[in-house]
Amino acid sequence: MLIAQEFVRPIIDWHGVAPELTLLAIGAMVTLVDIIWNEKAQRIIPTLTGLGFLAALLPVLTLWSDRDELPRVMWDGAYVVDEYSLVLKGLFLVSAYVVVLLATNYMHDGDYYEGEFYQLVSASVVGMLVMTSARDLISIFVAIELISIPAYLMAAWRKRDLKSNEAGLKYMLMGVFASALMLYGMSLLYGFAGDTRLAAIAPALRSSESIPLITLAVVFVVVGFGFKVSAVPFHTWAPDTYEGAPTPLTAFLAVASKAAGFVALMSVVIVAFPEQSGVAEPLLWVLAAVTMTVGNLIAMRQTNIVRMLAYSGIAQAGYMIAPLAVFGDVPSSAARAIVIYLVIYAAMNLGAFAVVITAARKTRSGEISSYGGLFQYAPGLAVLMTLFLFSLAGIPPFGGWYAKYQVFLVLVEPATTAGYVLAAIGAVNAVLAAFYYLSIMKQMWFMPEPNGDHTRVQITPSLQAALAITAIVTLVTGVLPGVIPDVGDLVVALP
Amino acid sequence: MYSDFLRDYLIVVFFGILAFAVVGAFIGLASLVRPDRPSEAKNTAYESGVDPVDGGWSQSQIRYYIFALLFVMFDVEAVFIFPWATRLEEYGMFGLVEMTIFIFILALGLGYAWRKGVLRWV
Repeated sequence: MLIAQEFVRPIIDWHGVAPELTLLAIGAMVTLVDIIWNEKAQRIIPTLTGLGFLAALLPVLTLWSDRDELPRVMWDGAYVVDEYSLVLKGLFLVSAYVVVLLATNYMHDGDYYEGEFYQLVSASVVGMLVMTSARDLISIFVAIELISIPAYLMAAWRKRDLKSNEAGLKYMLMGVFASALMLYGMSLLYGFAGDTRLAAIAPALRSSESIPLITLAVVFVVVGFGFKVSAVPFHTWAPDTYEGAPTPLTAFLAVASKAAGFVALMSVVIVAFPEQSGVAEPLLWVLAAVTMTVGNLIAMRQTNIVRMLAYSGIAQAGYMIAPLAVFGDVPSSAARAIVIYLVIYAAMNLGAFAVVITAARKTRSGEISSYGGLFQYAPGLAVLMTLFLFSLAGIPPFGGWYAKYQVFLVLVEPATTAGYVLAAIGAVNAVLAAFYYLSIMKQMWFMPEPNGDHTRVQITPSLQAALAITAIVTLVTGVLPGVIPDVGDLVVALP
Repeated sequence: MYSDFLRDYLIVVFFGILAFAVVGAFIGLASLVRPDRPSEAKNTAYESGVDPVDGGWSQSQIRYYIFALLFVMFDVEAVFIFPWATRLEEYGMFGLVEMTIFIFILALGLGYAWRKGVLRWV
């Protein structure tokens, strides 16, 4: 029997969803331009997409200036626009803009499909914007798939290159596997709580005795996200995918896509699992410690700079998981430290990739040995790379030190043995990481050019812009860390 | 506290062991019980009773793949439009605008395929 239920038109806060809608409209417009002008439009599409990302930043800024209205809660608490989500939306849009700058010349010179690439990047970024506000298992899952599926395609973008095919295939297989695990965990959570909204799941998990079902759900969800953020031991896809994929996309995966995975992990763990911190914390503690250590140890032995950055990114992910290992006692500071880390990590890592892409225009190589003599023929580039590497190693006064400092502060804040031990492991790892970052610097500053070729590197305007943006952010966040907006508390209550 | 924690995770370990044990038991049991008489005919691919022609690794036209993709587009369109159409009056203007946007986005996909020459059967 059909029960005719009356349709109630959902109330939509148009200002609240304006960033997503703007970007959607821009994506549609770029596709339309591609359809109408076809070949003739290929040169303007990158510019158009880049401006589109900046245009979508405008509603984020107006929402931020209207902070008294926050949080804007929509769809019974499934979609929340708060300070946390606005800061992250800004981060994703600016990172995507830098990725477009990196890709402009790469895609054109390499004779790859151009229009489609930027359309897929826009689609992926729409998913990221949705992810920052999603507080519901279903919308989180839809967002994560919207982010990942275009990325699977783009990883195989250099279709005449076998390595790129391998990159796309491995990324897709592992991504689908992770999604399956995550969905399994989510289905257990839903079965237990009877609600998909994170804020409604939290009270349902409140119980003094241990319930096996909850433990299983927590483990599966965390493991699923572990794949997305490439935490050890779920990192195996990352180095091959990063090496084979087009380098601008590698930058996108290593920064934006990984950050999106962290946003999902953070929202779920902090909003839905506070009552089960006893179950989730030890798992995250182990993940953080293993991820940092293994990532750094393997990074030391790499000879290809993109693979090295991949492993260094894995190690950095360990630092970003670390605050979650003590989230039960200090949920707000944990979220704040991770967001600060994500912002600074995005700037310095995109910067390092920008230098790699620029240098590869001359050397045509990703080997670390090809960086010899960089200081002689491209002093500016060598100085910038030094800045980004110092920052990645966490040496003041560049951004990276502040990010690590915040993580350590959170770890020692609850004054537990677990926190102190993890902080100590993190400190040891910072030393390990400095070793391989410095070895690249040795190559750039002290070694001769391997072929004796001293022609200058041609830096195109878009790469100059990308280098300038990332360098300025890396410097400013290190000297004046207060400029990173405070994210406040995550909204955990239902309307 | 730590014993609690270990007990919690013991469940996860048991769950994993069980997953392997069940699969292993079924396959193992089946291999013990079933008669094992392999023959040439049993190893050929099953094609609904018809004898298969050629090997399994034959090439097929890439064009079919593209048309299959386009079919998916219309299929998805139909899946969403039919339920919407049955309650059209209920949804009113709001539903109409939503569906127009949805169809527009799908139409972009079709327009893209058309423009890039995918629809031509060369």
